[in-house]
Amino acid sequence: MVHNLIKNQASAREYSLSSAVEGIAPPDDFLGFGLGLRTDHFQDVLSTKPDIDWFEVVSENFMVDGGKPKHYLHEIRELYPMVMHGVSLSIGSTDPLNMQYLRKLKVLVNELQPEWISDHLCWTGVNQTNSHDLLPLPYNEEALNHVCDRVDQVQNFLGRPILLENLSSYITYKESDMSEWEFFNKVARQSGCNILLDINNIYVSARNHEFKPQDYLEGIDKDKVKQFHLAGHTDYGNYVIDTHDHPVADPVWALYKQALKRFGWVSTMIERDDNIPPLAELLAEVETARNIAYDTLGQLETLKQREIVT
Amino acid sequence: MDKLPLASLQQKMINYLVDDNPTVTNTIMEQIKDHGNITRDVRLHIYKNAYQARLKETIENDHEMLGFFLGDDLFDQMVLGYINTYPSDNTSLRHFADKLPLFLANYAPFKDHPIISELAHFERLLMVAFDAADATLFTRDILANTPPEQWPELVFRFHPSVQLAHFKYNSVETWHALKQEQSPEPAKEQHSDWLLWRNNDRLTQFRSLPAQEYDLINMILNGASFADLCDFLLQEVNEEQASPLVLDYLLKWLDDGILIKQKFIQQ
Repeated sequence: MVHNLIKNQASAREYSLSSAVEGIAPPDDFLGFGLGLRTDHFQDVLSTKPDIDWFEVVSENFMVDGGKPKHYLHEIRELYPMVMHGVSLSIGSTDPLNMQYLRKLKVLVNELQPEWISDHLCWTGVNQTNSHDLLPLPYNEEALNHVCDRVDQVQNFLGRPILLENLSSYITYKESDMSEWEFFNKVARQSGCNILLDINNIYVSARNHEFKPQDYLEGIDKDKVKQFHLAGHTDYGNYVIDTHDHPVADPVWALYKQALKRFGWVSTMIERDDNIPPLAELLAEVETARNIAYDTLGQLETLKQREIVT
Repeated sequence: MDKLPLASLQQKMINYLVDDNPTVTNTIMEQIKDHGNITRDVRLHIYKNAYQARLKETIENDHEMLGFFLGDDLFDQMVLGYINTYPSDNTSLRHFADKLPLFLANYAPFKDHPIISELAHFERLLMVAFDAADATLFTRDILANTPPEQWPELVFRFHPSVQLAHFKYNSVETWHALKQEQSPEPAKEQHSDWLLWRNNDRLTQFRSLPAQEYDLINMILNGASFADLCDFLLQEVNEEQASPLVLDYLLKWLDDGILIKQKFIQQ
């Protein structure tokens, strides 16, 4: 019973490069600057209607039958474009694809009509045991073919390409014989999926595995990256843990600037998963991201405002 | 060296997360590259910590009052015991602790205090009511527009959020006291029936059920019609009392928002 839940839904803003600057205009699918929507902020979003381009929602939080959070979600969807971000697809697991999960995901896709759907380049469990964590894969030919085959199945089932996101990781398996970015890029090319680059995760993994973050950026095809995540981490000196519970750190802002130079206009958002501050604090971080992008690539102007599509 | 197949590698990693046995740890350790300033042990432990912390946080969020009731030490003991006994077999963390009442009823020291399992059961029922499916309610207006000749044949259906529960101890009273930040009374045997549901404001609500109402609700669950409910009450009270009584019940259910609109009712 999906149809009765679809009401009015907001379309995306359209941006163009300001006529006063030289540069490259944003692509058609550029959404602007967004934020990960959290239940703590539902009331604030609805009462203050902040001037933000779009929201990302965590799919699993709304793969329930009904109730208050879902009710608010639909009200917010009427006002803003959304993208859906999952954590349980387990695209790299050697268990069969979880069709029950995929069916529920598709129901939510039908309800929310997101601009796109993403999950992670990882596995979360095997043999009926779930870690509820994003576990890294070995980067080799077997894993590559396995992941590509499953991305193909998922994209066929959903009827659209998905985005996969890079993890923060702490271990490297002896079975790996290529870099993460080489593997990631091959997955995107072979399977036809697109890429969500988490800039913080690149920074965290670079510190933990002692590679140059710039090598990661340069190893990814320009036309594959459709979204950036920006988030915070916890620095333990020797190593860094991706906690997503702090403001974006300065080195990550610096890396974001480098990413903009490499990939151009990419829809960007702040992702805070824990230690959730007031909405205004996160909106200020979104504005920081916007300002860095404008400084790096040129000022944008709004060609068309969000519209409510009935 | 031949590469370990992906499935075997994943099995070793999962085994490591759910099993603290050093042999299991060594098995995955052999597959991890030793590089940089961080030892393999520290690297792997980041995953083990995250696994345990995430599951603990889930139980803390789902079972706040149970946490207050047990105190930190017993709560931690429960979390470790539960994680080891029932590793998650579900995609969603929402269902990770579904078996917690069962665990508490069967494992010492918790099983010696049955109110603990009942508290967990009550909190899980609240969660079910919270995110159960939505449905259009049967309202006073719909009832008023239902031709009287149809009333005897009406068979009511409950909102998907409605839960019936029987407790043998003063569990709900204990939960409620903790929620009000008051000291609960000592645990005591006290049989009672409860109705839980999500109300018109989409908030979870509960109330105790007197024996008569409990019987009526069970009759509805078994497919009884409005006429059947009237017949039942005629055995309990005299004819003059029966009509207003059944109407009182019906209006109360409508106002609570526990009955749903059905297609056969003509509008």
